[in-house]
Amino acid sequence: MVIVMQHGASAQQISAIVTRVESMGYRAHLVQGEERTIIGVIGDDRPIDRTNFETLDGVDKTIPILKPFKMASRDMHPQDTQVALDGVKIGGPQIVIMAGPCSVETREQIIETALAVKEAGAQVLRGGAFKPRSSPYSFQGLGEEGLELLAEARQVTGLPIVTEVMSPEQIPLVMRYADMLQIGARNMQNYALLQAVGKANHPVLLKRGMMSTIEELLMSAEYILSNGNSRVVLCERGIRTFEKYTRNTTDINAVPVIKQMSHLPVVVDPSHGTGKWEYVTAVARAGIAAGADGLIIEVHPHPEEAWSDGAQSLKPEKFAQMVRDVKRVAEAVGRR
Amino acid sequence: MIIVMKKGASAKQVSGVVARVESLGYRVHLSAGEERTIIGVIGDDRPIDRTHFDLLDGVEKTVPILKPFKMASRDMHPQDTIVSLDGVKIGGPQIVIMAGPCSVETREQIVETALAVKEAGAQVLRGGAFKPRSSPYSFQGLGEEGLELLAAAREASGLPFVTEVMSPEQVPLVTRYADMLQIGARNMQNYALLQAVGKVSCPVLLKRGMMSTIEELLMSAEYILSSGNPRVALCERGIRTFEKYTRNTTDINAIPVIKEMSHLPVILDPSHGTGKWEYVTAVARAGIAAGADGLIIEVHPHPEEAWSDGAQSLKPERFAQLVTQVRKIAEDVGRC
Repeated sequence: MVIVMQHGASAQQISAIVTRVESMGYRAHLVQGEERTIIGVIGDDRPIDRTNFETLDGVDKTIPILKPFKMASRDMHPQDTQVALDGVKIGGPQIVIMAGPCSVETREQIIETALAVKEAGAQVLRGGAFKPRSSPYSFQGLGEEGLELLAEARQVTGLPIVTEVMSPEQIPLVMRYADMLQIGARNMQNYALLQAVGKANHPVLLKRGMMSTIEELLMSAEYILSNGNSRVVLCERGIRTFEKYTRNTTDINAVPVIKQMSHLPVVVDPSHGTGKWEYVTAVARAGIAAGADGLIIEVHPHPEEAWSDGAQSLKPEKFAQMVRDVKRVAEAVGRR
Repeated sequence: MIIVMKKGASAKQVSGVVARVESLGYRVHLSAGEERTIIGVIGDDRPIDRTHFDLLDGVEKTVPILKPFKMASRDMHPQDTIVSLDGVKIGGPQIVIMAGPCSVETREQIVETALAVKEAGAQVLRGGAFKPRSSPYSFQGLGEEGLELLAAAREASGLPFVTEVMSPEQVPLVTRYADMLQIGARNMQNYALLQAVGKVSCPVLLKRGMMSTIEELLMSAEYILSSGNPRVALCERGIRTFEKYTRNTTDINAIPVIKEMSHLPVILDPSHGTGKWEYVTAVARAGIAAGADGLIIEVHPHPEEAWSDGAQSLKPERFAQLVTQVRKIAEDVGRC
């Protein structure tokens, strides 16, 4: 970090800061400007609480130089990470498409959807058994019964499953059924949950919180990585802005930003990113064109009867068309 | 609109509202629900000030049903509008790429850039002569001298040019030189300026304000269209969000949303949308994949010496790569 001294800070104040920096085992690099003196702290100062320095006499502010994440950073791990689940590799040359309903509703619904998305070219089945709903009166998911139905759909189709886990206690149960654990947007900063999935030996799909920055997303990934689980995939699913015509604003910039800063694979969720099925295909194409490693798409055989997220779910025919469109874009960017 | 009455509104209050609606020349559709009575107003009620109804006795709220724009709406004009400038057609099958420096600086700089972007495949030259800068101490543009240099660059390269006009008084001057007038993001709701460019026959590139919704952008287009100028292209250039790693957040959703709601062409500006040259190409590809009709890109032969926006400017070689990649995507989405 850089410590910026106040205008007119005394020599005594400056030397007190330098002493403090050195006493913590760092080197100090002093720059005497015309208006201000600044002190560069040399060494990995991530463990320092910068606010402690901001309260010292004569200090105006501190500016971080290092990014706060390490294990998620491309600096520490230059090659792309690939996360494999049951033979499907996320982050390799092939685009991975995950698809399925928002919620598992019935045996018929999940099996029909699984067969349809597989036929259309999806490699992973999604479906929620534990659902974090804004209203406690909304359908909360089928729970373990939903996991059993997902396992049956996997049996029938051969597609591995990604499904959400909402609390640390649910992890052993969900792991018994799922091939990949999803941390939903609302839980991106549920640190107990992040630590718990970090201790599980299971791939994790970490969704960006709707009010979280990219840095915060990478720090949440850091929680999982630093607890021992290196199989993390990030998901951009739209952030909250003032725009009213769409449910969220898909932060397309996040795709090249994350690919530059981190080695972890990134998938885009244009279903939540837009909130309206009409816009899903265009934004799915955009995600792949921007360099995403895959997509996660809500598909329902009868969106008008869906128990949740019907407005943003594609019918299987439209999904099949989307896959064809996306594959062409993938080829144009050297993927498949 | 729909007028929602308060719970327990009296029959007299309801009939008072109905009488008022009818006196304005609209028909009424009454539905008495279990908890509330709602009154549907039938007819084009855009001229009504809804707040007048919000203030009547027994009214809880009013909800608009019609979109507030008409001439910009696809309902009124189902076919795509094509805006042509000097043989270049924006909104047709071919993607239009506009490129050039943020500011016109010197004759050498603008002519060199114009030749380079033309060589790389751009069809329109951009360059600012009047610059709306956040700080009054920043370079404000060369003014009329800049327009003359742009005209010289057009002469040398054959490219038509787009440049910003900042006030109604400047419109005649800028129109004498420019092939297309740009309304910058900061002026998107400068209604005197919108009306002034609505009265000329020169094509207009209307940029979305960084804190404006899509609906507000379309309403600003409506100002220009309703003042008599149908030659309007819209530009998504990123909105302000909480994200700090990029200058703005490119609202990629805006592309399919605008294409659905409006017949006007849409251009994406990934230079302002990201603020960092490293991310410009990825987001440019995403824009075309999402269905944009073109791009506007900042290019500078020496970004490290640019008088403005150096960080988001591409060097000519990188711009040439961008064009190659974008044309490939364009073919995949059925454009050229």
